[in-house]
Amino acid sequence: MVYKRLIPLLLVFVIGLLGFVQEFVPHPLSGQFREEMTMWFRVIGGFALFIGAYSLLHMHVARIRRRMAGWGYSVFVFLGAAVMIAVGLHNGGLGPLAAEPQDRMTWFKWGYENIQVPCSATIFSILAFFMASAAFRTFRARNVGAALLLGAAVIVMFGRVPVSEAVGGWLFGVGHSGVFPRAADAIMEYPNLAAQRGIMLGVSLGVISQAVRILFGIERSYLGGSDE
Amino acid sequence: MTRSPADLLRLRRTRHVIYLLVAAVVVLPYLFQLSMPFKPSSWAEKLYHRVDSLKSGSHVLLSFDYDPASSAELNPMAQALLRHCFAKGLVPIVMTHWVTGVSQVEKLLRDTAEEVQKQTGKPVESGKDYVFLGFKPGTSNLVLNMGENLKAAFDKDFYKQPTESMPALTGVQSLKNIDMAVDLAAGTPGVEMWIVYGSDRFHFPLGAGTTAVQAPQLYPFIKSNQLVGLLGGLRGAADYEQLLKKPADATRGMLAQSWTHTLLVILIIGANLRLLAGLFRRKRTRDA
Repeated sequence: MVYKRLIPLLLVFVIGLLGFVQEFVPHPLSGQFREEMTMWFRVIGGFALFIGAYSLLHMHVARIRRRMAGWGYSVFVFLGAAVMIAVGLHNGGLGPLAAEPQDRMTWFKWGYENIQVPCSATIFSILAFFMASAAFRTFRARNVGAALLLGAAVIVMFGRVPVSEAVGGWLFGVGHSGVFPRAADAIMEYPNLAAQRGIMLGVSLGVISQAVRILFGIERSYLGGSDE
Repeated sequence: MTRSPADLLRLRRTRHVIYLLVAAVVVLPYLFQLSMPFKPSSWAEKLYHRVDSLKSGSHVLLSFDYDPASSAELNPMAQALLRHCFAKGLVPIVMTHWVTGVSQVEKLLRDTAEEVQKQTGKPVESGKDYVFLGFKPGTSNLVLNMGENLKAAFDKDFYKQPTESMPALTGVQSLKNIDMAVDLAAGTPGVEMWIVYGSDRFHFPLGAGTTAVQAPQLYPFIKSNQLVGLLGGLRGAADYEQLLKKPADATRGMLAQSWTHTLLVILIIGANLRLLAGLFRRKRTRDA
């Protein structure tokens, strides 16, 4: 209980309080403390990368073991990870501690440029097809709110591309070719901005209240297990 | 609600027709090499003029926080910014907070430097004319460390060269000494982190570029002058290319994007007209 609860709670309280107070103390010691702490956070952050990799591989091991739907793809995760780790460590024959050679293509660079980059870009580009199909099927003016949203979306979508200037010039005369872009800007700069500010303030207040709860040990879910 | 097999078949056919139309409006404009005139947005103009107003030799920190998935939108922006920096004789200090983007950023930087070298005939060298710091974990803590001591946070650059004696970093001890920063980001860590832990604390002008879906979230920061300019999506990159008078990938993509957006608007309006017609038909049948 002492090791699993009390000491972590005390550590969080003391470090959290010091981290908060140092922001308001203009003393060199305070600056040194911040510098030292941020270095520690970065070291801990580095380990988080390993935990992330472990978590990903652990999940895929479970999928393969249970023969879950699409488990074959999990095998590819292991294959991809193993091959890229091996060629990354090989680093064109220079070893893992040397800089990446710039005068020649390594297997790691080849894999990144010819597999990772095109595959990621392809997955992202497929979004355009899904969005077009989803917009056609679901963007319906069923009530006043939905109609307003639809109108705003159509104006912003159209006003953001060059063809809107050509259409504006054709409809309202050459001097008024910027009608659609200006309407899109007005939607973005007033209603959108007001909503974004509201969301940001709400989220920030939520973060502050959560931080206070963690600092004073009210919120303990990050320790794992039950609160009791 | 369960759908009949006929409904499902119709739905699948509609979807296939839409996919074919989208493919056509994306691919065809690239085949015909047509262009379309447009006026750059005011936020892109502000960013361009801010970079353009810097004196030769000024240090510009460029944080390219994105991975290959967003490269179609953000690579043209990064390329245009780098071309502008090299043309003005500025010293770009390039880094990334996204580990999956390191090789991509390195390639982009190397290719652009080589291109400028070929065009001008003058050597553009790493460590002298630009710096590539690469990636280090830590996100906001890394930015705080860079604000205290940049050369301690990155004691070596990506190519394992010590930063302490690097000619390109002469006069730059921390973020307080840089003349400007621009963050091109596809998510978190990204622009908001650079505002909170970078520009607001260490007082340097910050510009931003993001994917189109992210741009609306940043409007509060341009209105509060925490950002000096904003490039949103491929259109933002095309705006910058036009201001630079060097049309490239983003400008070529504008026609495809124009027709895709127009198609989407037509599809949405068409679907709603069909919905309205159905409602009227049902009402008339009920009244009869």
